[in-house]
Amino acid sequence: MSARVGIIGIGQTPYKRAHPELSSAELIWAAVDEALRDANVDIDAIDVIIAGVAPDALSGENGVEKTAVLGSGKPFLRVNTGGATGSSATFAAADYVASGRAKMALVVGVERMGQATSSQNVFNTVFDPIYEKDFPLTTITMAALRASMSMRVYGYTSRDWAEIAARNHRNALRNPLAHLKLDVTVEDIMNSPLLAWPIHRYEACPMSEGACAMVLAAGDVVGSRSVAWIQGLSSMTDSYAMGDRINRPAGSLVDLLTLELSARRAYADAGITDPRRQVDVIELYSPFSSAEAMTYPALGMCAPEDGPRFVQEQLDDVSLPVFNPSGGPQAANPVSATGMVRIAECALQVRGLAGERQVPDVVRAVATGQGGATQFSTVCVLGAESPE
Amino acid sequence: MTELITIPGRWEFDYTYFAGEAASRFFGELKDNRRIMGVCCPSCKRVLVPARSFCDVCFQRTEDWVEVGPEGVVETFTILTATFAGMPKPPVVIAYVTFDGADTALLNVVTGLDLSNISDAADRLQARPRVRACFVDEPQGRITDFMFTLF
Repeated sequence: MSARVGIIGIGQTPYKRAHPELSSAELIWAAVDEALRDANVDIDAIDVIIAGVAPDALSGENGVEKTAVLGSGKPFLRVNTGGATGSSATFAAADYVASGRAKMALVVGVERMGQATSSQNVFNTVFDPIYEKDFPLTTITMAALRASMSMRVYGYTSRDWAEIAARNHRNALRNPLAHLKLDVTVEDIMNSPLLAWPIHRYEACPMSEGACAMVLAAGDVVGSRSVAWIQGLSSMTDSYAMGDRINRPAGSLVDLLTLELSARRAYADAGITDPRRQVDVIELYSPFSSAEAMTYPALGMCAPEDGPRFVQEQLDDVSLPVFNPSGGPQAANPVSATGMVRIAECALQVRGLAGERQVPDVVRAVATGQGGATQFSTVCVLGAESPE
Repeated sequence: MTELITIPGRWEFDYTYFAGEAASRFFGELKDNRRIMGVCCPSCKRVLVPARSFCDVCFQRTEDWVEVGPEGVVETFTILTATFAGMPKPPVVIAYVTFDGADTALLNVVTGLDLSNISDAADRLQARPRVRACFVDEPQGRITDFMFTLF
């Protein structure tokens, strides 16, 4: 027996390279204050606070949230699952509410990496210091290792990566919160500087700062508020070692096995049997366009071998879900918050509050999270209808 | 309008990483015998390279040590082409290689490749070429004691 859980409040700062006008505490406060206002509650109504912060070294501050949210005298915990930090923190909050331990939970993800001057050097420290850290392994080269394998195994081309990136950048032009607003063609993207073969600059996410906060509430205290219901959620881990996944018979390095298993479970909870038709919006945690392509089969959009064909299909077939109406992480990637931003965007779409980028008549939306070397995957289904 | 203040900061910490039992033996084999060793999981029977004390899928301690390589095949790669603070000067090729006799792939640098044309180099690496572990003159007991060389 678990309580129904809905998202009733959302607050987001704009996402950009840096917010030099705000301290870290002020950055968090801006998002939290907006989320509480959106939910029409004050801090006294909150039973637990959960913060999501990925590597401290990105901000150069340990426990960056400490000066912002601890004064209110609540149970508190902090989550770090790399790029999935924001979604994992949201899941923890949802579990508090579902279990009856809290009626309302406040969750906040904050990224302060605008204070960092050598972020790829910091990202190198997330890799294994014994066998791997000596090599130029970073978020970019990690993604590139998988992109090149996807090209070899499934036949993706550089143009496919650019087509996906072009759509994400095009969508971001309608999102006032987006960091990058690039009016670029497929050719512009293919001609942008090569960072690590096969990834070009405009196929990669930017370094973004910003905070996202949400208020989650149990069904019996939602009242008449505008709400996006959590219809299904699932998360799963995988072996960290990318080299261990290369020769696996099922779920190789370029098949997102744990995302697929998470989606299967979350879809079942939400009653989704045909995700191509029953989902209106999908917000992906894909910081690189090549990483986005790997999600298509995992989310039930196509067979793995049809991935390259689906790149074109999702551009042409209007009956398919709309991918990344926000522009996705290629337009803004505040690492600690980004998994939560995906869920927040879906909740805004379900609540009809997404402004110029609103997709018409959103009944159901799916948000993903991926962290580390994709050893963490999360899938969250949000809907307008309350779960039973 | 208040003038916004910024405060300079720097994190500079030194660490000593403890490699542990399995990696210490693996590195010792590199240094003393110039050979690549894997361990076998008693449950799934995979030969895990580089060596580790247990199989994190089966939750079983690994037992038998087996020599693999020194040749193997390039599974996937990237060529770092841009300059990033703290990273080596581009171009640099890194690749996951499955050594002959191993079930998992290991990351290292690839040498012996003409990088004057990145696209041509990528084409060559996409063909899953065979490589050999080539040792440095004075191994230190580190993963950098060898690199992959095309032949």
